[in-house]
Amino acid sequence: MARTPKSHRLTIANTQQTIDCAANQTVLEAALAAGIDFPFACATGNCGTCTCHLDAGKVTLLPRGDASLSPQQIKAGQTLACRARPRSDLTVTWLSRAER
Amino acid sequence: MTVSDKRNRAAAKLMADVHAITAKEGITPSALHALKLKLVALAAKAELFPLADFAMPVAEGRNHPLLVEDNDGHGLYLTISLPGKEAAPHDHGIWCINAAVSGRECHKFFRRTDSLARPGYATVEQVGEVMVEPGGGMAMADHDIHSTVVVGDAPAIGLALYGYALVRFPSVSWYVPQFNSVRSTPSRRHAAMA
Repeated sequence: MARTPKSHRLTIANTQQTIDCAANQTVLEAALAAGIDFPFACATGNCGTCTCHLDAGKVTLLPRGDASLSPQQIKAGQTLACRARPRSDLTVTWLSRAER
Repeated sequence: MTVSDKRNRAAAKLMADVHAITAKEGITPSALHALKLKLVALAAKAELFPLADFAMPVAEGRNHPLLVEDNDGHGLYLTISLPGKEAAPHDHGIWCINAAVSGRECHKFFRRTDSLARPGYATVEQVGEVMVEPGGGMAMADHDIHSTVVVGDAPAIGLALYGYALVRFPSVSWYVPQFNSVRSTPSRRHAAMA
């Protein structure tokens, strides 16, 4: 019998919604599955449209292009919703282009 | 002459050949094929592209400009992508040629199958596939849709030639089959040309 992946609680601060996010699911996948209109475009770590601030929690990042998220952005607490899988309960805030 | 000098000279020769081909017949399927053969021949000269001359990605994918033309011309880049690096199906609005120096990158080609009636909604179906590996390459026209993923355990190192430099790219339309979505990123052309 297949084991159900561990799940974490994910809060999207912009909409003040808290949903489940499986450990093998990205923040973007969980948000869209819950009907949240999270901004995105490529969903594969290239364009940076889904850049968000990681307000709380820890994530693992899937492969991405260097131009999509700089080391300075990571240092500032930013991540990519399309590449981030939860390692704990999370709170994120998606960012406008001007805020990145 | 240093390796860097030889590389610059080879890039300039390639670009001269590219302009000779496109001046003669425009951007046609046969012209794109001819450009691909030129780029594959350049990529085969692996001694011109020693990894010591190019920083590895901080994450998993990085582009190094080799020759970026002025006056809204073409852009030639060396690309390094690590295993697992991927890009969803996308149309970058401008023609593109890829050729491998080393490693393997799978390119899949798609066509849009929905009616274009619903904003943000799109479906695509795969219509082709090419493995870009040493000795080979791929060419695509202005509005072709392709996806990429690096396969195997080695980095995919290749040459990429675009009709426009990356800093002057048009809007890119991304199709994500998992979400049946299409989303476009802003064009860089106005800002870059201002």
